[in-house]
Amino acid sequence: MRTYTVQRVPSVSGRVRTGATLLSCLASVLAAGLLLALLGLHPAALGLQVLHQSLANRYGLEDLALLAAPLAMCGLSVSLMLRVGLWNIGADGQFFVGAAGAAWIGLYGPSWSTLPMLALMGAASMTAGAAWIAVPALARLILGTSEIITTLLLNFVARLGIDWLVTGPWRDRASSVTAQSPRLPVAIPKLPRDWHLGGMHWGLAVVLALACVLALAFRFTRWGYELRICGANRNAASYAGMAVNRRLLEAMLLAGAVAGLGGMLELAGTVHRLQSGLSNGYGYVGIIVAVLAASSPLGVVVTGVLMALVLNAGTVLQTQGVPSSAAVALVGLILLSAAVGERLANYRLQRIPPAPRPGQAA
Amino acid sequence: MTIVTPLVGPGPNAGPTRRGLLAAASATTALALLPRRASAAAPLGPVAEAEAVIAFGHIGPISDGGWTATHHHGMLAAKRAFPKAKFLEVESIPVSADATRTFRQFVENGANLVFVTSEYGDLLSSVADDAADVGFLECNGHRTSDNQGWYYIQHWRVSYIIGVAAARMSKSGKLGFVGSFPVPAVYSCANAFLLGARSIRPDATAQVILINSWFDPQAASQAANALIQNGIDMIYTNLDDASCLQVAAKAGIKCATWNTDMRASGPEAYVTSLLLDWDRFYVAQIAARLSGSWSGGGRTILPVGGGVDRDAWGASVPAETAALADAVRRRILGGWNPIQGEIKDADGKVRVAKGAAMDEMACYGWNWPVEGVSGLRSA
Repeated sequence: MRTYTVQRVPSVSGRVRTGATLLSCLASVLAAGLLLALLGLHPAALGLQVLHQSLANRYGLEDLALLAAPLAMCGLSVSLMLRVGLWNIGADGQFFVGAAGAAWIGLYGPSWSTLPMLALMGAASMTAGAAWIAVPALARLILGTSEIITTLLLNFVARLGIDWLVTGPWRDRASSVTAQSPRLPVAIPKLPRDWHLGGMHWGLAVVLALACVLALAFRFTRWGYELRICGANRNAASYAGMAVNRRLLEAMLLAGAVAGLGGMLELAGTVHRLQSGLSNGYGYVGIIVAVLAASSPLGVVVTGVLMALVLNAGTVLQTQGVPSSAAVALVGLILLSAAVGERLANYRLQRIPPAPRPGQAA
Repeated sequence: MTIVTPLVGPGPNAGPTRRGLLAAASATTALALLPRRASAAAPLGPVAEAEAVIAFGHIGPISDGGWTATHHHGMLAAKRAFPKAKFLEVESIPVSADATRTFRQFVENGANLVFVTSEYGDLLSSVADDAADVGFLECNGHRTSDNQGWYYIQHWRVSYIIGVAAARMSKSGKLGFVGSFPVPAVYSCANAFLLGARSIRPDATAQVILINSWFDPQAASQAANALIQNGIDMIYTNLDDASCLQVAAKAGIKCATWNTDMRASGPEAYVTSLLLDWDRFYVAQIAARLSGSWSGGGRTILPVGGGVDRDAWGASVPAETAALADAVRRRILGGWNPIQGEIKDADGKVRVAKGAAMDEMACYGWNWPVEGVSGLRSA
């Protein structure tokens, strides 16, 4: 008789990890197809429709990029903290607060020309995002309070603060049904038309540049190296003479600033008004984006696009007659499988050789 | 006791024939209250019914039993009237960049006419500006263009009728209103409600609580409870669900609701509801789009009896009260504008002079509370 045991593998090659993620995504897509068939729809036709409408139409790529940008910014924020072994569950709140900081400058700040104005708004959003995470960061470093809880709870505070701003002091008098701020007078310029990215704005370039800078910093600077060691083993890092607390603080503040900048890009590039719907859970999806990318900055860009594709599929499915609850469930299923597959890649099935029978000649 | 069957209102048996709908539709068009802009846009070209794609985008779930359910009802009526056309429907579209993506999908799917059943503002108009051959209609919207218009209902006049009944249903004269955001849809509703009540009982007051959502049963219940603790014995709400009515029934007070007939949730507390009926409007707009006579720039406010009305009175409404309110309703159906001066705002300033009336656009953009309304500020 054959016996098997499950073994944890200490380190997995990138190829195995990617393979596992792809395989589990495929499995979940098949399961989703089965569900759609049970709903009386044609899964293959729907799948083609999703791919066609997500990639091959005049809006598809633009929509994909517009959705991927905030997801990638939140993913970069989460991955920065994962580098030092901390969880940023609060990217959503930092995203909102960053957008509010940018909106404040845009609505009530100086009336400069576009570029200096955008720079000032970017600076305001990064300051606001960093300030928003400063309390959890200091609580973590001084008191040892779990940053998972504090960053998460501050999301609700941020969201309610935005609600108050847009229903109160910053409410647009002209709109009628929902609460939102007036339209910002400045906007991030669009990419040139002949690049065939439709209405995508230069914020996309900022996202890509930031991902590259972070990737280079992680790979080639002493700072990046120290972050990694602090994340792997704080005692060892401390023993090696690194300023561990300082590095942790830097990573956390920077994470807040990146998420805040994400909020500014979404505000000034895509939505143009501060409103409660500015982030549709982007900060939370950013966690999945960062985990799937194994906190690699360039990987975050790829998984951000993949995640945008999946979320976009939910929209396409609804226009094809799939109920919204089923579309949300399908998206959730795919995300869950991807995350589980990524973890499972760390394990392997090992055959245990049968024990020699007593009395059997050796 | 007279229970008058409402002229309109979604119900399980409301299955109008196509001919009836089209006849009614032309009547509705004639009743559209507001002129198009001076520079009328050129109509979009005709579309064969078999090739037509009509899209509906909703703010809430079609199963909400309220606002979105009434629009879904309208879509079903349109589907029956144009069985060969293809209909797309997406519910629960958040007011975020996701909305833009959804509207673009409509365009990409070949939609000829898109109904968006709540205001999305820029999130919609950015798509409309990029798709000149597609018609867009935004409920409670504000923007018009060559291929975009808006539509709404004259709900303030029905709220006035409900206010008349409320003045009699309340013992204390202290009325309550549970609303969503400090936006004109809420100001006009609460204001007209109190103006109606004060026409019967000049000392009536209305306390307003806003819950920052159109659908949040828990917050709505809390707000209703808070009003009851303040001694209020008649609540009016324009939220999507029936939780205020349930709280009112439990507390033994009266309540009027919005959107649909909700009496089953609290028959003894139910006064009436402001019923919405989009069926004829939707059929008329689609018919115009198919025939090639639809153009942007339309600004439609559906009148009382042609898209909005009160529900049949609740079992606890005395015949005399019903008759009093229905007399006002008949005057309104005859063309009388009940929103007449002199009207002071909550700070005591005269906003509408004696002898003047507030026109429909002024009511549509109402952003100050009338005297006697508390809980809303002048914007």
